[in-house]
Amino acid sequence: MRSGRTARIGVDVGGTFTDLVLHDESRQITRTGKLLTTPDDPGRGILAGIERLLRESGAGWDDVGVIVHGTTLITNTVLERTGAEIGLITTDGFRDVLEMGGEIRFDTENLFARPATVLVPRDRRLGVPGRLLADGTEHLALDEEALLGAARTLLEDHRVEALAVAFLHSYRNPAHERRAKEVITAAHPEALVTLSCEVAPEIREYERMSTACVNAYVQPRVHAYLDRLEDSLRAAGFAGRLYIMLSGGGLTTVEEAKEFPVKLLESGPAAGAIAAAHIARAIGEDRVISFDVGGTTAKMSVVENGAPALAHRFEAGRLEKFKPGSGLPLRLTVVDMIEIGAGGGSIAGLDDLGLLKVGPRSAGSVPGPVAYGLGGALPTVTDADLVTGRLDPDHFLGGEMNLVGDDVRAALRAHVAGPLGIGVAEAAVGVQSIAADSMAAATRMHLAEKGADPSAYTLVAFGGAGPVHAYALARLLKIGRIVVPMGAGVMSALGFLVAAPTVTDVRGYPTELADADWAHVSRLFAEMEERARALLAGADEFGDKVVVSRSADMRYVGQGYEIEVPLPDAAFGPGAAEAIRDRFLAAYDATFGRTISGGRPEVISWRMSAALPGSHIDLAYRPASGDPVRGTRRVHFEGHGELETTVYDRYALPAGTVIEGPAVIEERETSCGFGPDARITVDARHNLVVELT
Amino acid sequence: MTSSLPPKRALAPVTLEIWWSRLAAFADEAATTLLRTAFSTIIRESNDYTVVIMNRAGETVAECRAGIPAFAALMTPLTRELLRRYPADTWREGDRVITNDPWIGIGHLPDLAMVAPVFHRGELVGFTGTAAHLPDIGGAPSMGRTELIAEGLLVPPMRLYRGGALNEEVRSLLMANVRLQEQVWGDIQAQVAANETCRRRLLEFLDDIGADDLEELGSAIHEVTDAALRRSIAELPDGAYTSTVEADGVPGRPTTIQCRVTIAGDRIEVDYTGTSPQVPYAINCTLPYTRAYTMNPLKLLLGAGARGNHGSYRALTVTAPEGSILNPRFPAPVLARHLTGHLLSSAVYQALAPVLPERVIADSGGAPAFRVQFAGTGRDGAPFRLVLFASAGMGASAHADGLSTTAFPTNSGGGSIEALEAASPLLFTRKEYRADSGGAGTHRGGLGQLISVRNTTGRPWQAALLGDREHHPPRGLLGGSPALGTAAAVDGEPVSSVKSVVQLAPDATVDLLFAGGAGFGPPDQRDPDAVATDVALGYLTPEAAERDYPGHAPERNTQ
Repeated sequence: MRSGRTARIGVDVGGTFTDLVLHDESRQITRTGKLLTTPDDPGRGILAGIERLLRESGAGWDDVGVIVHGTTLITNTVLERTGAEIGLITTDGFRDVLEMGGEIRFDTENLFARPATVLVPRDRRLGVPGRLLADGTEHLALDEEALLGAARTLLEDHRVEALAVAFLHSYRNPAHERRAKEVITAAHPEALVTLSCEVAPEIREYERMSTACVNAYVQPRVHAYLDRLEDSLRAAGFAGRLYIMLSGGGLTTVEEAKEFPVKLLESGPAAGAIAAAHIARAIGEDRVISFDVGGTTAKMSVVENGAPALAHRFEAGRLEKFKPGSGLPLRLTVVDMIEIGAGGGSIAGLDDLGLLKVGPRSAGSVPGPVAYGLGGALPTVTDADLVTGRLDPDHFLGGEMNLVGDDVRAALRAHVAGPLGIGVAEAAVGVQSIAADSMAAATRMHLAEKGADPSAYTLVAFGGAGPVHAYALARLLKIGRIVVPMGAGVMSALGFLVAAPTVTDVRGYPTELADADWAHVSRLFAEMEERARALLAGADEFGDKVVVSRSADMRYVGQGYEIEVPLPDAAFGPGAAEAIRDRFLAAYDATFGRTISGGRPEVISWRMSAALPGSHIDLAYRPASGDPVRGTRRVHFEGHGELETTVYDRYALPAGTVIEGPAVIEERETSCGFGPDARITVDARHNLVVELT
Repeated sequence: MTSSLPPKRALAPVTLEIWWSRLAAFADEAATTLLRTAFSTIIRESNDYTVVIMNRAGETVAECRAGIPAFAALMTPLTRELLRRYPADTWREGDRVITNDPWIGIGHLPDLAMVAPVFHRGELVGFTGTAAHLPDIGGAPSMGRTELIAEGLLVPPMRLYRGGALNEEVRSLLMANVRLQEQVWGDIQAQVAANETCRRRLLEFLDDIGADDLEELGSAIHEVTDAALRRSIAELPDGAYTSTVEADGVPGRPTTIQCRVTIAGDRIEVDYTGTSPQVPYAINCTLPYTRAYTMNPLKLLLGAGARGNHGSYRALTVTAPEGSILNPRFPAPVLARHLTGHLLSSAVYQALAPVLPERVIADSGGAPAFRVQFAGTGRDGAPFRLVLFASAGMGASAHADGLSTTAFPTNSGGGSIEALEAASPLLFTRKEYRADSGGAGTHRGGLGQLISVRNTTGRPWQAALLGDREHHPPRGLLGGSPALGTAAAVDGEPVSSVKSVVQLAPDATVDLLFAGGAGFGPPDQRDPDAVATDVALGYLTPEAAERDYPGHAPERNTQ
């Protein structure tokens, strides 16, 4: 490690806020920061934020060894359809697969709902002869002349900025796609080419093709963005290494991020779950629900035994109401989370039946909630939080932003209370209740898919609005314990500091377990590991101890959906089938509550994850001296009504403090309130550990 | 019991919204349980399932949003019939009544309904209900059946569980009559689990809100929904509107649907007097299914889909003469009832198009869906059998072109070609849009698709085709043109019928042509740029463009 550069900085650029955290192990300093995102040029906000943190901690660019970055840039590019013009080259006869999609209606309640517009219009989707079979053998050789012709048409006539290549069965045999890239780049050396066998080598042509196309679609923008960001960091004096957060919670290099930008799609949300996992390990909780609420959405995910649950499929750019099926399906390793349109900025209003609804529309950061005084006129959850006393108008963002009270009441009266014929206070409580209820319903649903019940979990609440709603959510889910970590308002950024360089990879080789060619399986894993070790070799800040784990997507023959089964560490020999079958049966039983006698297990995809150890960080907060009690105010608690409540300054609460509810505890970026059934303990790391009775 | 019917809107609107959304979420959560724990793939692949929560009268208060929306409408009549046979005071905690009787259930034998009571503080407060398509229900393995008994085991309403105890005799009778015992029992257990999820959540919920039962909340939900639906209906012009839909039916017996939609004040009545009589083939559609597939397109048109419950059906009445193909007498064969039932959305929309042009769509190519099952012997000598899921085009509307290759009125979607090839020795040589298949119109119908298949084993194989719309292609609305209908060919030669089993030579190539959706509005009103774009993208051939849109000047945009 380079001497002197001991500070690490995490930067999370979200839709509303840019969160930052600086940690310097050697100087025992942790500082957090939060500022409004600068959507026109996110780098401006990043630089301003970092320089402020450095100033506040008495450090300079020389001290910074590592910056870890995550961004919603890619998510937004897909959502707003502001990516590149791209072309798709695919197997002759199958160019419409991308546009046909799943052939379902995502909204069966609306006859006129329309699916996401296809990323590549038909005239930029070209088929070329050449065909592989399901077992990987060649049925028809690749027609290289036709391929070159197609590439020329797309690059020269249509002037596309990037190409995706996706041939049938390339997950099983990548030869045609690899050859296609050689041929294309020989003729067009500057062309950006995404191969489906590299970005998502898994069976099911539509999803693989879609993943390749999204990668190509965002690639030119990501190239430009990362180059510009790196340049401006260097120009400011940064001499350390820049890492980028992956959707699955690992870190990668800028080069790899530019090659496979689609893998960064969910990096912001992933960081939150990684941070929650870090907290779970630190406090010794095996079963945690990570509850991350920002300005636009609430995200819930499960952390078990210190690691966030992962999923290998994801849908990007959902059109409306977060409806499944309305976006673009991706084969991609992501933190398995459910996200709903209920955040601080979610707008409240009445629907056609005259019922109060909250979200999914959000006021975002501009104009933001009415309370921000930036021109927002529609009432939001944050506005309701202000009226019910959950938020303090004078201490929002540590007092940097004064919330406006009168306009908030007027907006709630005009859009909610008036039409419903109720008072403003009641309307505000209603908005909060509906927001909390939709978060609870989504959490129940997410856990139901895993066969789990939320009441057996501890809630770790963070994000600007997570702690604000944690108490209500815990009560709805019958959760007995809430943890609000120190720095909860900028926890995601903390996740960037504890994450580790990670490479996940997959190979599609569908085979019945009993018939598997183990020499082939061993080759696939050797190939994945070799590439992973090469990528990780450069990340020497994180040591050189690579931990490899392997798993397989399995099911019974005849079923349509797979479960992920951890594989033994041993080499794959003749005895492997039996050991893997046992693990499959155990995993199947754990997920579905039974196994099927006489069923034949099969493997669809083989997965590998290789990671360097993450950093353990003990956040070094030194409580401020002085009276932790800021005063009292009236706060409404669901089920208890409005209570006179003591307000505490979180930074002045020493470890070991025990507080009986009702209480409101404020910190710079967020605030949390607990009713009379809560007992709050400040633990040794300054987490608030809340027991509900 | 303590609670009596409250005055209208006794619940504060905010409370109603919260409680209602919570109930609706329970049905969704239980549907997740059903999908997750079902063994067979048929439930997932075909979406043939539903989960509902009902009050003590058997009226739904919450219906899951996934699955086939029309199915939920079947649960209230079914539960009422169960209550007639098993009066309320005979139910016990832990009972589970099952039936697949098409005349009271879901319309054909593979769909099993299960209803369980919910007791709270010792009183019956409601029921949970599920229905799911089982992977096997016995019967002869071909489409040639001319009577119900050949279609499988008929299970009249009976208690599979009584007071929590499994009735082993019912179970063994069931298991003795099916081939895939493990899968069938596994899926029935998934229904048990889903009913149980609903029951548990409902009890927690009643305790949370401090209510004795569901009556107050249920009535509020029904009233708000019913009132909203009636408000929508009241805005429609009163009158009787008719349509006639003709379809291929079975050889020599084409199907005619006579539909009369009467809008009177805040009510809608649909009557099918004049419809074809029942036939001794599996395409008869029992009255519950007829009702469900009539109400669902009406609900879509009335914008009342969001949170289904009994209140969304109270203003709607559906009748069909006994002995007709839409209300056949027992024991008519019904296995492929969708071939008739799926036509009803077309009938309803055609009838209402002249008065509600903004709310309807033209005929969809997938109404009814075209399914093909391939079978043969693989290279290893083991038999293979698989169903190709793929979609036709949707009809166009006053607002936009129809969606290409999109399932309607089902939502079964399309399967992966790679997955089909991995599971069989078949080789698909193309799956692409079928040019010109969307009916011409101011808005064009969605395109169907063309799928070509070969066999790689060098052995004979077969394709069982089950479709319609071959001789009666989807019809346009308000001047829109018909779409291209369903078709199939072997080595370029059309097959005798899209309802047939075709024996195939080893080197045969099968072409499957899925119908397009029909057009909406006169073609001469179509934006010439849209025609030019269609031609440029190959959705429309220049010849068809010249024929259907003379003088549209396609050369403008094609360079």
